[in-house]
Amino acid sequence: MEMDDGGGGAASSTTAGNEANSVSLRHGRSKVMYQFTQQNLPACKPVLSPAWVISIFFAVGVIFIPVGIVSLHASQSVVEIVYRYDSECVPGPLRSNKLAYIKNSSIPKNCTKFFKIPKHMKAPINIYYQLDNYYQNHRRYVKSRNDKQLLHGLEYHDIGSCMPEDVNHGHPVVPCGLIAWSLFNDTYSFFRGIDELKVNRKNIAWKSDRDHKFGKQVFPFNFQNGTLIGGAHLDPNIPLSDQEDLIVWMRTSAFPTFRKLYGRIEEDLVADDIITVKLLNNYNTYSFSGTKKLVLSTSSWLGGRNNFLGMAYISIGSSLIFIAFVFMLLHIKNPRPYGDTTNLSWNWKPMSS
Amino acid sequence: MAGWRGSRSGGGGGGEVSPTRTVRLGKVQPQAPGHRTVFCNDRDANALAKYKGNSVSTTKYDVFTFLPKGLFEQFRRVANLYFLMISILSCTPVSPVSPITNVLPLTLVLLVSLVKEAWEDWKRFQNDMSINNSTIEVLQDQKWVFIPWKKLQVGDIVKVKQDGFFPADILFLASTNPDGVCYIETANLDGETNLKIRKAFEKTWDYVTPEKASEFKGEVQCEQPNNSLYTFTGNLIINKQTLPLSPNQLLLRGCSLRNTEYIVGAVIFTGHETKVMMNSMKIPSKRSTLEKKLDKLILTLFTVLFCMCLLGAIGSGIFIDHKYYYLHFDRTEKQFDPDNKFVVAVLTFFTLITLYSPIIPISLYVSVEMIKFIQSTQFINNDLHMYHAESNTPASARTSNLNEELGQVEYIFSDKTGTLTRNLMEFFKCSIGGEVKKPPSAAREKGFNFDDARLMRGGWRNEPNPESCKEFFRCLAICHTVLPEGEESPEKIRYQAASPDESALVVAAKNFGFFFYKRSPTTIHVRESHVEKMGKVQDVPYEILNVLEFNSTRKRQSVVCRYPDGRLVLYCKGADTVIYERLADGDNDLKRISREHLEQFGASGLRTLCLAYRDLSPDLYDSWNEKYIQAKSSLRDREKKLDEVAELIEKELILIGCTAIEDKLQEGVPACIETLSRAGIKIWVLTGDKMETAINIAYACKLINNSMKQFIISSETDAIRDIEDRGDQVELARFMKETVKNDLKRYNEEAQQYLHSVSRPKLALVIDGKCLMYALDPSLRVMLLNLSLNCSAVVCCRVSPLQKAQVTSLVKKGANRITLSIGDGANDVSMIQAAHVGVGISGQEGMQAVMASDFSIAQFRFLTELLLVHGRWSYHRICKVVTYFFYKNLTFTLTQFWFTFQTGFSGQRFYDDWFQSLYNVIFTALPVIIIGLFDKDVNAHLSKKYPELYKEGIRNSFFKWRVVATWAFFAIFQSLVLYYFIVASSSRAVNSSGKMFGLWDVSTMGFTCVVVTVNLRLLMMCNTITRWHHISVGGSILFWFIFVFIYSGVVLPKDQENIYFVIYVLMSTVYFYLTLLLVPVAALFCDFVYLGLQRWFFPYDYQIVQEIHRYEDDSSRIGLLEIGNNDLTPDEARSYAIMQLPGQKSKHTGFAFDSPGYESFFASQAGVFAPHKAWDVARRASMRSRPKISQRKN
Repeated sequence: MEMDDGGGGAASSTTAGNEANSVSLRHGRSKVMYQFTQQNLPACKPVLSPAWVISIFFAVGVIFIPVGIVSLHASQSVVEIVYRYDSECVPGPLRSNKLAYIKNSSIPKNCTKFFKIPKHMKAPINIYYQLDNYYQNHRRYVKSRNDKQLLHGLEYHDIGSCMPEDVNHGHPVVPCGLIAWSLFNDTYSFFRGIDELKVNRKNIAWKSDRDHKFGKQVFPFNFQNGTLIGGAHLDPNIPLSDQEDLIVWMRTSAFPTFRKLYGRIEEDLVADDIITVKLLNNYNTYSFSGTKKLVLSTSSWLGGRNNFLGMAYISIGSSLIFIAFVFMLLHIKNPRPYGDTTNLSWNWKPMSS
Repeated sequence: MAGWRGSRSGGGGGGEVSPTRTVRLGKVQPQAPGHRTVFCNDRDANALAKYKGNSVSTTKYDVFTFLPKGLFEQFRRVANLYFLMISILSCTPVSPVSPITNVLPLTLVLLVSLVKEAWEDWKRFQNDMSINNSTIEVLQDQKWVFIPWKKLQVGDIVKVKQDGFFPADILFLASTNPDGVCYIETANLDGETNLKIRKAFEKTWDYVTPEKASEFKGEVQCEQPNNSLYTFTGNLIINKQTLPLSPNQLLLRGCSLRNTEYIVGAVIFTGHETKVMMNSMKIPSKRSTLEKKLDKLILTLFTVLFCMCLLGAIGSGIFIDHKYYYLHFDRTEKQFDPDNKFVVAVLTFFTLITLYSPIIPISLYVSVEMIKFIQSTQFINNDLHMYHAESNTPASARTSNLNEELGQVEYIFSDKTGTLTRNLMEFFKCSIGGEVKKPPSAAREKGFNFDDARLMRGGWRNEPNPESCKEFFRCLAICHTVLPEGEESPEKIRYQAASPDESALVVAAKNFGFFFYKRSPTTIHVRESHVEKMGKVQDVPYEILNVLEFNSTRKRQSVVCRYPDGRLVLYCKGADTVIYERLADGDNDLKRISREHLEQFGASGLRTLCLAYRDLSPDLYDSWNEKYIQAKSSLRDREKKLDEVAELIEKELILIGCTAIEDKLQEGVPACIETLSRAGIKIWVLTGDKMETAINIAYACKLINNSMKQFIISSETDAIRDIEDRGDQVELARFMKETVKNDLKRYNEEAQQYLHSVSRPKLALVIDGKCLMYALDPSLRVMLLNLSLNCSAVVCCRVSPLQKAQVTSLVKKGANRITLSIGDGANDVSMIQAAHVGVGISGQEGMQAVMASDFSIAQFRFLTELLLVHGRWSYHRICKVVTYFFYKNLTFTLTQFWFTFQTGFSGQRFYDDWFQSLYNVIFTALPVIIIGLFDKDVNAHLSKKYPELYKEGIRNSFFKWRVVATWAFFAIFQSLVLYYFIVASSSRAVNSSGKMFGLWDVSTMGFTCVVVTVNLRLLMMCNTITRWHHISVGGSILFWFIFVFIYSGVVLPKDQENIYFVIYVLMSTVYFYLTLLLVPVAALFCDFVYLGLQRWFFPYDYQIVQEIHRYEDDSSRIGLLEIGNNDLTPDEARSYAIMQLPGQKSKHTGFAFDSPGYESFFASQAGVFAPHKAWDVARRASMRSRPKISQRKN
């Protein structure tokens, strides 16, 4: 950086061209400027003394442990049933070649399973499907959608980003793109005894998505009409904003293992109830050896069952307190002389300096 | 040097250029062939030649070239070029991010740089404008008319008034002074403050009035414009008469007129063709060591980036497979073609480069530049502790590149005269006719510190030898080259002298009653009191017949003068050795006693001169004078011939006595040197003085003391003298080399012994210039270096400017230590430029050193403040800034990197484009600048109280690879915590209605955590926390939230729907808050433990000092200024106000020089004589005609 004219110019141009100004130095701006240029701004000097270290550790630990306990408690109160069905739902003889099974549309994909409710589950009980090894966050996948089209439908023509699922038979696809095309299409229905449990499939997507990202006047068009069918079909008479399955699916997940909300059972399930699940095992996860799981879960004020937060809070909190104690012991047993001049390097090693 | 040989008035003819010269300071441009013809006072005739106008422009750019040229300058930086490439890459389909991610930061960075450039250029432009628009009187229609400088044209007749600046290079025609001379000050040109005489041709003396001047019709034929300040050749043709022009008739732009009411001249060179403008060249800019190391760090980051990308690329090749049918891999896109995994990997490599590009901190350079700029312009330039009130000189950082270098200096090379000493000579003692007169008392006047009743107030007449006293005083009053200035009264007169010794001697003569008050080219007027009796004053004009100049080989100066009564005397003063050689036989007692006195004086560190005279008979003089004139008019080897002629008359001298002048130490020098050496800085004094004087000064300023073991390598030994006398140069060289080698070897062994002994005395080395010349020989250099590195003080005496530079670069390159050179004179320029940091003393000897320096201070003692306070802080701050930048970008990029592993190595971005692009330039930009400006480990007072703290900088404790590695480790740790905690906490339902986060929810949460974490980490590394820290850190986090609220709240035309409403979704969950509290704490937990442990078990020195003075009030300048309640005391307020006032600057400081004209310096280096004492030229010219008149008188 060149400073041809030095700083003198900068300094001289700042303030005070005449006596009157220079006298009024005591006024605020000048004072701040003075403190600034003389590097004398009022400041606090935090010195990380043992007392500070110990008390900070202790204080944070004391805050963290209760938070951890509360969130762990909330998480523990959630009853969760996870049931993997992808291989079990393949009929025994076909299990050696699951791919052929899933690709063969003539084989019925029905599958009935039973499980027992371990604990009382309070309504609403959320139903999730969980996929594993499924890269919804792959770059090619994430960008293969068109938010404009989802909102405006066929009016919006520029759907290049939906490659390679943008056009079919010369017509644009609505909703276009790989994400929509690969819509999950397993379905579940639940029975307690012979009574079908009502599954509410509304309000499973975030409201903002329904209201602002998927058009109320946009209807599926030319969808799943190609040579290769990826996933679910959509009812062309229902606008996208009401196709909540699609909306949930299209909020792509961040990681290759993810859950998506399928619906809710709005009745309590009592412990030891036997639940029958009738599912249509349509979705192909066999080709990439992904798993499919069905999850039933109640929820707490915090959300689903996730011990991680609570555990993390507790473990960090307790290790903070532990370290605080270690420091304290150190401090008592072998206190470091605080601000001791003998610790200065030029004092303790005069020979080498 | 071609220009020198080619120019006809080169004076001494071409000398050889020494092949061993290593330091090049500039060059003389080759002259264009041909000449220019200027028709004076005839605009029409000159119009044909189309000379350039007189407006100057020092701007780098104009409106049209600004953008291309400025951008080109910017892209010469590797980092910017890298980001340009990344930006281009991000416009291709390979890129996972939209171009905005990389273009925006680059644009902002470029914008900031360009705005800065434009601002600086604008200031230059304004400066130019004010110069171009200042007015000058020009002859038009027989009247003087004011026109702006820029309208001035070649050939115009101009009138310059007293104290005015010459608007162009002007041919001097006439002046109001009767004898056609004028006095000019060339301080802006070469920094010399003494006045110089210029003399017009007698033929043109009359053209003073406008009426007369308008009759002037002259034609000037002269050389083409060139940059040689001290040469000019040409002819003036008036009335068909050709007068040869010399530099003596040329008044250069940039000089100002003094002691002359006004002058009239004709413009010859204008605007950019003036010599001063042709001379402006750029100083090669220095880069700090830390910055060079930073380059290595950046290079390492490139390597890391490469490895990360390679890893990702290989991963992508492995991952890609047809089995992921939902990803629809096929041939349509090359990057996703499973059948060609190699291409996939290569393209993914580029994808990842664009994705990970933030690992190179783009805004680092611009931020560091900004910080340093403010540090130097606001802090260093405005520091009241480096402000010298007496001379109204603040410190000034002339470059802002080297601030942190000041915190790591290990070797200081200091000039002596004017730097350690005041260059204010005081007449202190004298010995007249074998008697010492001395008692010193309080200084009465500058240059005179003497009160001996025997001499003062005419007391000398009662002494046993009044005649020799009279000769003594007359010699002082006559034999000199001083110019009087101002009123002709003893109280008000000011003397302009080439060296302060001279004026001290003249002042002494004045105080003894021999008042020199007026000089014309041929006479010296002395007001002698008490010639015959008390109280009577008589003005005596002495006619000066010849002046035999002082130069370094002659070491003496003589004047031949004629008393009004016709007595012819040669007065001579010079070094004892040369005078004694030339004394007449007899009176051995006097010689012996005087020599004893000389030795006494010398031993007490005084500068001595011997005075002698010789009565000349008219015959002897006339015959000599003929030879002298002959020598003077000879074209080749004039100097040599003049020296030879001088020898003829400077002999059989009669000793009068000797003088002793005290070279006073600068204020606070010993304390400063002591402090600096406690700070682990080794100080070398490089001086042209005698060894005894040098050692003496070294003692005086506490550089050497009696407890130190001294090693002396001197050429003044008997053995060497013997060989010298024999005159065999080859033998001498061989012998000297041998001696030096043996000395070095012996001393090295001794030094090793001392170093391993128990008492470990400090060592000092004293070496003189001749021995140094041999010691610097490549074969001995290593030994010299080893020896000198073990010494805590080194004194080199009798060294030439070139040797100063050589010694400096010996340590700089050989030992790889950081060096600082400080000096005040032209002879220090080479040294100042050779060192890592050059400091100029803006003091007595003019501006040349300052012009070449990186920092200028008014006093040597301010070096403590500059190094221990500003340098140390700056080093600390820049280290923090750089490591923090490194850390924050690494952390950020690594989270992205970990994400890549979970996306099938596809290069999917984790963060939104705008988040990524604003991360560096907005969300984390300001706090780091604040820390770069305000962080103080310990306050200024303590920095000076514990100079040892400085050693941390010398050891480079804060920017070692270990430090960087620690930061890198914590960056990796934090990024892992950040990423995996986010992953783990967002894999389940996040609210009571069981809804899940999508990719962008997670990434926004992650980004929030990153921004909070890195900003908090910054607070953890602060030593002081001001309001601005809170504002900037809080503001950055707050700004992030404001930004994301707005950004995700509105729908933009571009693809931003990803982020739409995300933050509101996030904030509707308790999860978000829990995570936001947990993640930064978890990430910073280890850092905190580390900081605690480090402070506990391995505290840095500054930390202990912090602890010692923990409860003290931190008004940092407590030591000197009382600051009650942070209000300013009247004193402070006043000095602050004074500093804020626009300085009384000359018009030319703006453009004058990026560097001064070094011609005279190099010329003498290369053996070419340049008559740079311009008045010398004046005198010689006037003397050419003078002898005839004096003969006629005879």
